[in-house]
Amino acid sequence: MSIRTISTDVAIIGGGAAGCYAALCLHREGIAPLIVCKGLVGKSGASLFAGNLVISGKLLGNTDEEASNTAEFLIKYHNQFLIDQRWARRCGEWIERVYYPELEEAGLYFRRDDAGNVVTSPGKIRSVAANVQGNSGVPFMDLRRKQVIRAGIPRLEETVATALLRNADGAVAGVFCLDVLTGDYIVVEAKAVIMATGYSDRLHKRSTGTREMSADGIALAWRAGAALVNMEMQWWHTNDIAHPPSWQRMQVYPNPMLGSEKSARMVNSAGEEFFNQQEDDPLAFGPYTVQLKALAKQVHAGKARYDGGYFAGFDNCDADEVDRYTTYGKVYRQLGLEFPNTLVETAVTSHYRQGGIDVDTATMRSAVPGLYVAGGVGGHSNGLIALATFDGKVVADGIVADFPAATAKPPAPSEIEFERRRLDDLRGSAGHGPAPVAVKEILRDIMWDKAGVEKDARGLEQALEDLSRIRSDLLPEMRLSNTGLRANYEWLDAIDVANMVDVCELIVQSSLERKESRGPFFRTDFPDTDNRDWLVANVMTKSGNGVKFERRAYDLPFFAPDFERKANLEVAW
Amino acid sequence: MAAPAPTLSPATRLGQAERADTLALRNARLSPGEIIVVRIRRSDGTESAGRLQEFAVPYQKWMRVLDALNWIAENAATDLAYRWFCGSKMCGTCAVRMNGREVLACWEAVEPEMTIEPLRNLPVVRDLVVDRSRYETKVAGFEPWLRRADTYPGFPEPLSHKQMKNASKALDCISCMCCYSACPVIGLGDLTDFAGPAPLVQLGQTALDPRNDQQKVAGALAQTGIFNCVSCYKCEEVCPAGIPIVSQIIEPLKAKTAVLVPAMARHALALRAIVATRGRVDPGALVLRVQGLGALARLRRILRLLVRGKISPLRTFFAFKTAAAAPARRILGRVPP
Repeated sequence: MSIRTISTDVAIIGGGAAGCYAALCLHREGIAPLIVCKGLVGKSGASLFAGNLVISGKLLGNTDEEASNTAEFLIKYHNQFLIDQRWARRCGEWIERVYYPELEEAGLYFRRDDAGNVVTSPGKIRSVAANVQGNSGVPFMDLRRKQVIRAGIPRLEETVATALLRNADGAVAGVFCLDVLTGDYIVVEAKAVIMATGYSDRLHKRSTGTREMSADGIALAWRAGAALVNMEMQWWHTNDIAHPPSWQRMQVYPNPMLGSEKSARMVNSAGEEFFNQQEDDPLAFGPYTVQLKALAKQVHAGKARYDGGYFAGFDNCDADEVDRYTTYGKVYRQLGLEFPNTLVETAVTSHYRQGGIDVDTATMRSAVPGLYVAGGVGGHSNGLIALATFDGKVVADGIVADFPAATAKPPAPSEIEFERRRLDDLRGSAGHGPAPVAVKEILRDIMWDKAGVEKDARGLEQALEDLSRIRSDLLPEMRLSNTGLRANYEWLDAIDVANMVDVCELIVQSSLERKESRGPFFRTDFPDTDNRDWLVANVMTKSGNGVKFERRAYDLPFFAPDFERKANLEVAW
Repeated sequence: MAAPAPTLSPATRLGQAERADTLALRNARLSPGEIIVVRIRRSDGTESAGRLQEFAVPYQKWMRVLDALNWIAENAATDLAYRWFCGSKMCGTCAVRMNGREVLACWEAVEPEMTIEPLRNLPVVRDLVVDRSRYETKVAGFEPWLRRADTYPGFPEPLSHKQMKNASKALDCISCMCCYSACPVIGLGDLTDFAGPAPLVQLGQTALDPRNDQQKVAGALAQTGIFNCVSCYKCEEVCPAGIPIVSQIIEPLKAKTAVLVPAMARHALALRAIVATRGRVDPGALVLRVQGLGALARLRRILRLLVRGKISPLRTFFAFKTAAAAPARRILGRVPP
């Protein structure tokens, strides 16, 4: 089959908040970007899920205390101190100075009341919504999609990036792509590649990751030689809908509500309330880790399970105050449940990966020449749509600075040929084993059972054995029932599976390496948070056929933990 | 602290209560393990209609149409082609027709027996996957981005929710194409130049935004063929986002078109003027005003209309008025064209 070649200045893999903003910034600088998106730009991925938008600095009358709370929340509750605090400060300043005015000028509608005030959530940290709370990501990303179209930035949509292509100097100089709807191969030649595939990776049985997610960004970057950091740091949602399965991505948002003093509450199987953000931890604005710790105690007491048996809802509120500015009632109403008087069964869902590709936060360069990173797939911070957007700006600045020196050597033909064969072979898979989609489910079960919320060395070692068996026994025996080219999602599944196995292994190895518990990372064999030895970046690099770990300390210029060692379940964050 | 907005209207609450009965029933009629029958229209995009393939799927608690499709793709037809990303009514890519009705697969409860087909009015790529580019091209052609008449004053700019009322409804759109598939005028194909409900909702996001330079909307409105809309409300009926597409998007856009591109609204404006002066619909006057005196040359048609009593030349030429003229003028005077 022939391969179409497209040349551009910068190839961006991912069409979410980070990728779109990077594209727009580069375009403004006269550098030609091209977006490769496995789904649809602004319609797939995690950015859509932004429920509300946090106010930083002194915006909208924020007090000094509220500004400081926001920073503290980001560093402590959101990242458990595993973050470059100076990057966080730069980001906060930019959000205040540029992000909000720029979005509004472009037309994003920050919800007003009839008197014309921007509606905020009250409390120690304030937020606003784009049109409606719970749905802010939809108009936000729709705006980005239109800005990208308006700028004439080319998009390859429903097109999966399957490999980073290096040139003779070893620099990343292109991307191998498959157009999923037509089955065409496309090579995008570029002087720089930005990996912007997002926060989630859908590697667990229950995951907020969207359909197309399979940890592609991490797998591709790792194979090209990038270092990874804190891969074990997995964020969990604690009250996502338990039934039906498709709704596992739908959350009973525990955050403060716009225009109300109340928020959702969580109740165990005995009907006892065990979490309510407004009362239990007002500084935990997105209280997911605090909730998770509260839930773990219920699980240990036999009053909940990680996969259900506890409930969440708004029965402490009036329908009016929930409906006024939020979409939160939609789940209950669609099920015909009386709202807000009924609670719904919820369960834990793997959410964002805090870790990811190791980057220099000043330029967003990875360890591999030509490869840059933006947004959630980076290991430098955990998610918020504003942070991902800021990365889009920083990476564009980094590329603009490097651009004059960028090499124009095309990808090595051998790399292109290797990838073409690999994909052809996958499409022709005719073994005696399961379909790729079944292998995906097996992987997700293993990760849920052995690398789930609570883990220990034994389970993790077993997970590694299971993964190695999948690699040796199942992958070569996969079978496709259809070898056609058009919209062959079975073929796509086969491509995904290879990425998933690799990244699952890296996560398990990284989880074994961190010998403490921290925030949402629970090791039952190391239950303490250990700030003396483990307030560090857990960096992994390739070493021969294996991996090598290294610990890198974090500077703590603004916020530092106030203890050296403590049982993680007793730590607030 | 913001002043509280008015609560939802009593009518909305009443609607919610009525729907609750139906939804409660739809979610309770099957028990886990019961078998549902799913027929899926499968095609490789080149056949005309494809063929129906039948599957038996075990019901799971509160199962959605998407859960049934996922079950089939994992257990029975691993090569089933269907599109979805978020599974939570945000990305708007999983819309299909279930038993002849457009639904968002991730949002709609399964039925004991259901036939699942791809959306209409868009070409099929394979099985349930449709090619969205027809819609995308139309929307891009509208250039639906904000162009401010005035300089942006800085965050937060003066703006109230009252001013944004209609645009804010349009912002709930997830471009799922349910309305586009359900629209009978789009179903007529090239017989009209109607843009269709989904593109109009997208246009409404900025065209109904008071911050937008209204003159710049005219070019987009001229491409909408909006007066081909027959106000049948099919689009509203199927919209999973609950957008009042006709009443709060298309009608305000029609009104805007009448002002900015009056040539497109000749028929509507003539009808309005006739009702306002005569207190009744006068088909004869309407034909004359819209088509001009040239209409008189079509003798056969005129005869047919006369015989069927559709037109009455005497009433038309003597500008016969009814008692409703005064109230009609009063009512129409309250609403801009």
